Amino acid sequence: MRQRIALEVNGKLHELEVEPDELLVDTLREGLDLRGTKKGCGTGDCGACTVLLDGKPVNSCLVLAASAEGLAIHTIEGLSGSGALEPLQAAFVRLGAIQCGYCTPGMLLAAYALLAENPHPTAEQVRHALAGNLCRCTGYQKIVEAILAVAGTEGIERGERGAGPSLRSRLAGPQVGAPGVIGVASRRGAEGAGPRSHAPAGAWSARSGSPFNSRGGPA
Amino acid sequence: MITSGFHPDPQGKIALTARIEAKAGSSRSVGRRLPRIDGWAKATGQAIYGADVILPRMLCGKILYSDRPHARILSIDLTRARSLPGVAAVITAADAPRRRYGLYLEDQLIFATDRVLYVGQPVAAVAAEDEGTAATALNLITVEYEDLPPIFDPIKALRPGSPQLHPDIDRYVAHYPSVKYGNVCMLTKLEQGDVDAAFAGADRIFEENYRTQLVHQAYLEPHACAAGFDPTGRLTVWTSTQQVSICHGELAAALDVPMTSLKVVPLTLGGGFGGKLKTHLEPICVLLARAARRPVKIMLTSKEDLATTRPRAPYSFRIKSGVTRDGFLVAREVEALADAGAYADHVVGTAMHLVKLAQGPYHIPNARAQARVVYTNNGHFGCMRGYGMAEFSFASESHMDTIADALGIDPAVFRLQNLCREGEPILSTQPLRGVNIRQTMEAALATSGYWEKKGRLAPGRGIGIANLIHTTGLLGASAAVRVNEDASVSVLSATVDIGTGTHTGLCQIAAEVLGLPAERVHTAALDSDGAPWDLGSIASRTIYDTGNAVRMAAEDVQSQIIRLAARSLRCQSEEVVSEGGCYSCAGGGEVIPLARLAAMVAGGAQSPLIGYGSWLAMPPFAEPVGEGYGEAPVGTFIFGTHVAEVEVDRETGLVQVMNLTAAHDVGRAVNPTCVEGQVQGGAAQGIGFGLYEELALREGRVVNDSFLDYKVPTALDVPCVVTALVERADPTGPFGAKGVGEVPLMPPAPAIANAIFDATGARVRELPISPERLYRALVAAKEQDS
Repeated sequence: MRQRIALEVNGKLHELEVEPDELLVDTLREGLDLRGTKKGCGTGDCGACTVLLDGKPVNSCLVLAASAEGLAIHTIEGLSGSGALEPLQAAFVRLGAIQCGYCTPGMLLAAYALLAENPHPTAEQVRHALAGNLCRCTGYQKIVEAILAVAGTEGIERGERGAGPSLRSRLAGPQVGAPGVIGVASRRGAEGAGPRSHAPAGAWSARSGSPFNSRGGPA
Repeated sequence: MITSGFHPDPQGKIALTARIEAKAGSSRSVGRRLPRIDGWAKATGQAIYGADVILPRMLCGKILYSDRPHARILSIDLTRARSLPGVAAVITAADAPRRRYGLYLEDQLIFATDRVLYVGQPVAAVAAEDEGTAATALNLITVEYEDLPPIFDPIKALRPGSPQLHPDIDRYVAHYPSVKYGNVCMLTKLEQGDVDAAFAGADRIFEENYRTQLVHQAYLEPHACAAGFDPTGRLTVWTSTQQVSICHGELAAALDVPMTSLKVVPLTLGGGFGGKLKTHLEPICVLLARAARRPVKIMLTSKEDLATTRPRAPYSFRIKSGVTRDGFLVAREVEALADAGAYADHVVGTAMHLVKLAQGPYHIPNARAQARVVYTNNGHFGCMRGYGMAEFSFASESHMDTIADALGIDPAVFRLQNLCREGEPILSTQPLRGVNIRQTMEAALATSGYWEKKGRLAPGRGIGIANLIHTTGLLGASAAVRVNEDASVSVLSATVDIGTGTHTGLCQIAAEVLGLPAERVHTAALDSDGAPWDLGSIASRTIYDTGNAVRMAAEDVQSQIIRLAARSLRCQSEEVVSEGGCYSCAGGGEVIPLARLAAMVAGGAQSPLIGYGSWLAMPPFAEPVGEGYGEAPVGTFIFGTHVAEVEVDRETGLVQVMNLTAAHDVGRAVNPTCVEGQVQGGAAQGIGFGLYEELALREGRVVNDSFLDYKVPTALDVPCVVTALVERADPTGPFGAKGVGEVPLMPPAPAIANAIFDATGARVRELPISPERLYRALVAAKEQDS
């Protein structure tokens, strides 16, 4: 049975009908025609569908649309609302952090949330924050560099394991953060030890000058 | 034994900057780090990928796959599916042409007809009003099967009397001088020198077996395409494809219609890496649209994509080398066996490619190589970035270290004293050109600090080296360059930008020829109606081949501009000089900007300014080469060297790549940012290939069909790659450029394997080097020691 809900997306309130089992990614893409949010794996493993819920990056393929009611949703379409690229977007373009571009909207939002939480991250912190967002093209290096450039954190990551964790720390399991704000989003980071340790980004906090800093009530 | 001059200065004599031997030149566009032209669209979410297409009254298409590895289809009951409200079309092989099609061998059908040959083979498809109805309709289709004995082991498939996947193989049309029999869909052999005598005269002979795994391209965008009708009612497909022209041709062949009755429109490609070549969903999507008389979109789920598309085929190699006591290679024999799954597809091409390069980047005067590609019921396999040479490099570059270790020679020194030479023929008889392997080795060794680190690393640490040889310049490319009436420039090409930055690079090449800022030039992949033919985004060829076609087209239009300028300036064409988009007479006088000349077209004072370029790197061999071999000579050769440093946890077998240095022979980096992106991204895929990735099969079924279980490297798994670009202009490349797309994937796996050996003395001959596999090798190595 379809239910009527109100979703606040990029500062604008939308009233719409959704199925009870409808996923937020599908509501955004099909219902609201916001196709900048990409659908990758559909199972919370790739991060392509990352959006911000109350400022926290979540996989929108793991969130029921109805459960997002009352939360501030931000998608890639809202990142440069005025038309000009946000510094983060501009840095991604300028520094070669974009190749096929399919991971880019999710990467940008994950990066945005990171910088809101931690304006001057180290390369290792950036890599941890992006661990739930797969990129098959870039090898992540230029993405990390672009984020560091915007953060003003010293230059290019270089040298031995310039950014990555040591083997010892990886064997000890994920280092950073707790599972995401919404329970269903917690498959990022749930994998635990092993060669891949998905870690979620930390909690979000408001940052002045950000298009995402306001809960921006109904327009 | 080190011959004078072979050993590079341990201090690293060559002054290493990020780019070596870059030409200063007067270049305005080529060599600049310009931002990619599609950056804005991709950074804002505006780019349109396959799944983003919306057409009026569009239906949702879904495919019913075989759930049996090998079975006879006794009946298919479509009645219930067809009568479900909301279903617009249900189709099977009965609705498709019976004509077989294929790239090298015409062995493929759109739908299974009387038998299914693998789990995941399309059996039927539906188009319905929405996804839920389409899924319900699939469940209402009943297929009655009679199981047949399956073959999962390629060795068993070779045995006489084993069940044959394609009993009519003798009658299949091949597009090259193919040798095929039984389940062997290709056999090829190349040989040079006197191999038996050289082995007989060798001081030592080394023989090893290696195995590479089934690897998915794991692009993030699952396959998606939409089919509908163009304004004239012609069937049109909007698709994420690497190859507009090839997709168009194969689609027409599969549907048995003239190419003019179909149109292919390329969309932004969410990654491909060899996984979106030719046709995949397109024939089914078009058949559904034709049956429903309405547009249809098919979007695969990631699970479907991982389980039913065409991953990199698994290979096994036997490699044997003869050497002199002082470490010179004299003989090589290679036997490769590839599991193609149910269709020959690109696996045939990968086998031919590696066979011709079986000597690696080394001087081995006596060599023979043979490859067989075998049908099994394991799936429908294809190719991935590296195209046979990523697979073979793991075997051959690991093998180099085995020999060096046994002879007590440093692996880098052993390689340096055996490097191939300019002008000597490879196994296909083509002479090598553009040999820059010594330069990439020197760059990688110096940049990585190999000589300082070797033997001095902490316990558990190891350092390893691996070289690569590859080719670029494959099949034709054509392009047009149009000067618009406002003096902006459009490059018309069918080449898709798979993400590499190809379009940006093509603009830089056209701008360089015309002396304009690259910002004045634009390009986007055109549809199959408008685009000049191009092989597409494959084989590290877009900058080299399409770049050459664009260069020629730009030169053509430039000569038209010069004739027009001469007419306007009242001088001879030879006297016209151009500078920064302005034209004048050599002696001085009036300076005419391009804008004024271009505007003459709109005013009717000049015929349109459009130039064409049609390029083929090399004509085919005059005489047949070897046995069962059908590749043409290549444009030029590409070299490179990686040095990997690893840390191994002996208790768990877990490996971490601490440092990776990648030196690449790029000819000329048209856009260094894009080139570095290729190197870093390719290296990450190489690390995945070496350590993490394997599509696991159980009786022909993919069992790890999710990104949770199929381990693509994350940001935590790959180190910061140090890139050294060796720029020695290739005379055949546009402004000296070679290709770089595939090659960075090739050396990481063997470099890591060699570094693990350096750290532990354990040699793993099978990919991926999972903790379990390495742990077993460590235990075996320990037992051997004691």
